[in-house]
Amino acid sequence: MRERKKSGVGGKLILALTLLFFYFPIFYIILFSFNDSRSLTRFSGFSLRWYEKMFADSTMMEAVLYTVLIAVLATAVSTVVGTITAIGLSKSNRVLSAIVERINDLPVMNPDIVTAISLLMFFSVLTVRKGFGTMLLAHIMFCIPYVMLSVTPKLRSLDPNLIEAAMDLGATTFQALTRVVVPQIRSGIVSGALIAFTMSFDDFVISYFATGNGVNNISILVYTMSKRVNPSINALSTIVILLITAALGVVNLVPVLREKHGDGVKPVNRKATAAVAGVLAAALIVTAVMGGTAKRRRERDAAEKYGSSVLKLYLPGEYLGENVISDFESQYGVSVIVENFDSNEMMYTKLQAGDSYDVLIPSDYMIERLIKGDYLQPLDKSLIPNLDNLADAVVGLDYDPDGTWSAPYFWGSVGLVYNHENVDPAVIEAEGWDILRNTDYAGRIYIYDSERDSFMMAFKALGYSMNTDDPAEIEAAYEWLRAMNNTMSPIYVTDEVIDNMMNGYQDIAVVYSGDATVILDENEDMSFFMPYEGTNIWCDAMVIPANAENPKLAHEFIKYMLSYEAAYDGSETVGYASPNAEVLEEMSTSEDLYAENEAYYPRSDGENDEMFHDNVTLQRELSKYWIRVKAEG
Amino acid sequence: MKQFRSMTYPYVAWIAVMIVVPMLLIVLYAFTESGNEVLTFRFTLENFARFVTDSVFLAVLWRSLVIAVITTVICVLLGYPIAYVIAQLGERANTILILLITMPTWVNMLVRTYAWMGILQDEGVLNTFLGFFGVGPVKMIHTSFAVILGMVYNFIPFMILQIHTSLDKLDKNLLNAAADLGADRLHTFLRVTLPLSLPGVISGITLVFLPAVSSFFIPKLLGGGQYVLVGNVIESQFLTSGDWNFGSAISMIMAIIIMVSMYFTRRIDAAANAGKE
Repeated sequence: MRERKKSGVGGKLILALTLLFFYFPIFYIILFSFNDSRSLTRFSGFSLRWYEKMFADSTMMEAVLYTVLIAVLATAVSTVVGTITAIGLSKSNRVLSAIVERINDLPVMNPDIVTAISLLMFFSVLTVRKGFGTMLLAHIMFCIPYVMLSVTPKLRSLDPNLIEAAMDLGATTFQALTRVVVPQIRSGIVSGALIAFTMSFDDFVISYFATGNGVNNISILVYTMSKRVNPSINALSTIVILLITAALGVVNLVPVLREKHGDGVKPVNRKATAAVAGVLAAALIVTAVMGGTAKRRRERDAAEKYGSSVLKLYLPGEYLGENVISDFESQYGVSVIVENFDSNEMMYTKLQAGDSYDVLIPSDYMIERLIKGDYLQPLDKSLIPNLDNLADAVVGLDYDPDGTWSAPYFWGSVGLVYNHENVDPAVIEAEGWDILRNTDYAGRIYIYDSERDSFMMAFKALGYSMNTDDPAEIEAAYEWLRAMNNTMSPIYVTDEVIDNMMNGYQDIAVVYSGDATVILDENEDMSFFMPYEGTNIWCDAMVIPANAENPKLAHEFIKYMLSYEAAYDGSETVGYASPNAEVLEEMSTSEDLYAENEAYYPRSDGENDEMFHDNVTLQRELSKYWIRVKAEG
Repeated sequence: MKQFRSMTYPYVAWIAVMIVVPMLLIVLYAFTESGNEVLTFRFTLENFARFVTDSVFLAVLWRSLVIAVITTVICVLLGYPIAYVIAQLGERANTILILLITMPTWVNMLVRTYAWMGILQDEGVLNTFLGFFGVGPVKMIHTSFAVILGMVYNFIPFMILQIHTSLDKLDKNLLNAAADLGADRLHTFLRVTLPLSLPGVISGITLVFLPAVSSFFIPKLLGGGQYVLVGNVIESQFLTSGDWNFGSAISMIMAIIIMVSMYFTRRIDAAANAGKE
């Protein structure tokens, strides 16, 4: 007791600083979940719009449900199995425990992506149907080592003769374990369970590759939605924090009340266990109610008209009109499972593993690869009569000249967004891509962190084709980028560039046209320019995989997406150019829409503009050079 | 003690199926070339040679190890006093504080990292705050400081939990005995408390160092992309350039390096244990 009082002031200060450090970002998240704008740095006013958006989104509610369910189950199983195994190992020979420890290190130490790919291949060799079960197995797999890491040190500091003593006194093995060992190591078990729960709750990469059939967790949503900074994620996090706090409050109050009734003091760790259990139970109930209602409503709609008809759609994150999916679902009485990918290559990886979808929306070069690899089935054009309404610019493109395999979804360009208050438009027009090497603007540029787009700029600036595989030209482009990296101190960004440019943090950024449209819409100091030396004009298109389970409905979906209403909604929401001629015309001429927005309409007459072709070896080569550019600087 | 060994059998079978077999697929990739189909076997050491002979990759690996070591050291130096202070408090305070420290980790890592991005911006809250005192703006985002801060923020709870666990059940009689035998507080701490909590520190180091070496979201978002660490290289092999063979080889090389360093860390632990007995 003497000791406790002494550590008073200094100890309190340490604790206060610790909690401040831990909770500062958390309060920041809560504050910005009420922000009126999308920005994560400027608070522009109080609003509940992100909460409305979140509650209206049934996939978000479902994801909460799955996250909690999987975390609870994985924690329970891995805590029990991990503890039993750790106890067993402490009584086994050293070789066995050393081997198990080393193997346990693998999932802890390997980058998640390696574990994820290994499981992806493993599940696809077994040809199991991926979803809740496979995701749960994966989580149990990576959680157990964490439990064992926590329990083992406690076992080591335990008197090795304790169990023998208990058994000599007549206890069975089971009694010796539950009455003697477990109480001694309880704090290790609790912290192991806490870590396991955290790991499961927070996991993205492994979950992404181990799941399928529309079973998502919160992390998968967060990562695939962060394409456009989406503050409803902050709203979701706030709800999670509130749930946990409420549960903790209740659980901590119960022992206090019980004590007053003279029940005596409980051991600390039993309370901690009860607290954890309480949090889980409360979260489970609330999410079950929230997720359940949304799900039931959807299933009833689907069952009414088409029986169990389900369409599985796989597309980039934040790429849909606001009401497109719900409108399609209610018009056709079906339910759509939407899954998102972060890159074309991520999608390709999943297809290779045999995952099945009804409609995919990849990019031009990837469609080329899919056609080559026999992953697609030809479209039945008689089922999609409105293919006639396509804009000229998206008809007869190289990757699929006759439109046999694909129907365009969005198209666009890559260009420079710049702040015309700080950068003279005349200069940027004269210099084109080379402005990214003009040291007047050093430290003020964002480069999109992708070897594909960066080498495209360099090739174009040097007057080469962006599909070149001439080693001398690649070398020259590498030197161009290296000089840029070493003289301009650029910041390499991905999708956060949207938020950053809306806030005007830097003066020049390499941006996709649709993202540029959104930036220009929010910040009137920004302009968009497509350098005359040429740029990448690209097209993302809808295709039906060969192994689609519902190709009929897939055709209906494509037809629907090409319709005026759906195309209008999509293009207006996301900001990319529509393939529908009428919508394109209206968006680019109406004052209320994007007539004033130079980023919206990609040019179709630039003689130096090109599309990417599929070339896996070239891509690998560029990827190697790109790492070198960034790492050597 | 046979019944105890048999308690490990189910898990041994489980890791054989769920960890070893999938990892063998990765090893297979590391030693083969071309194509993503598992069945195109063509044995090669080319993937390893490419990594070892390229100074850029070695530099990246080195930088990752340095950052991870710095992060781990900071986590131990900060985490130990925090865990120690908590362990001194009463039971209820212990429970609440441990939960308070774990709770932020239940908010998605990416969301928390985005929050730090906003906080650390040149125009962010922290610089606005510093501005009141006439300081700054200090360049924080896209620096090593930001990357290490992000890693410490994400991983230190595990360190605190582990150290706290080992301090929590420390036999108070030992401390009293030491005091009775004339040891002052410093000596009691150095001779009794610290050695007894070492297993917790070691497993804390494991839980911080291993994920820190391979993390790629934190360096990407807070370091601004020019901060290439080995996790980013591996990620891009699988997710952008599609070179699974090379990606597998790099992760194998990393695994071996880490295995070796963990082996030595555990030797320290074992030595400490032996000294105790």
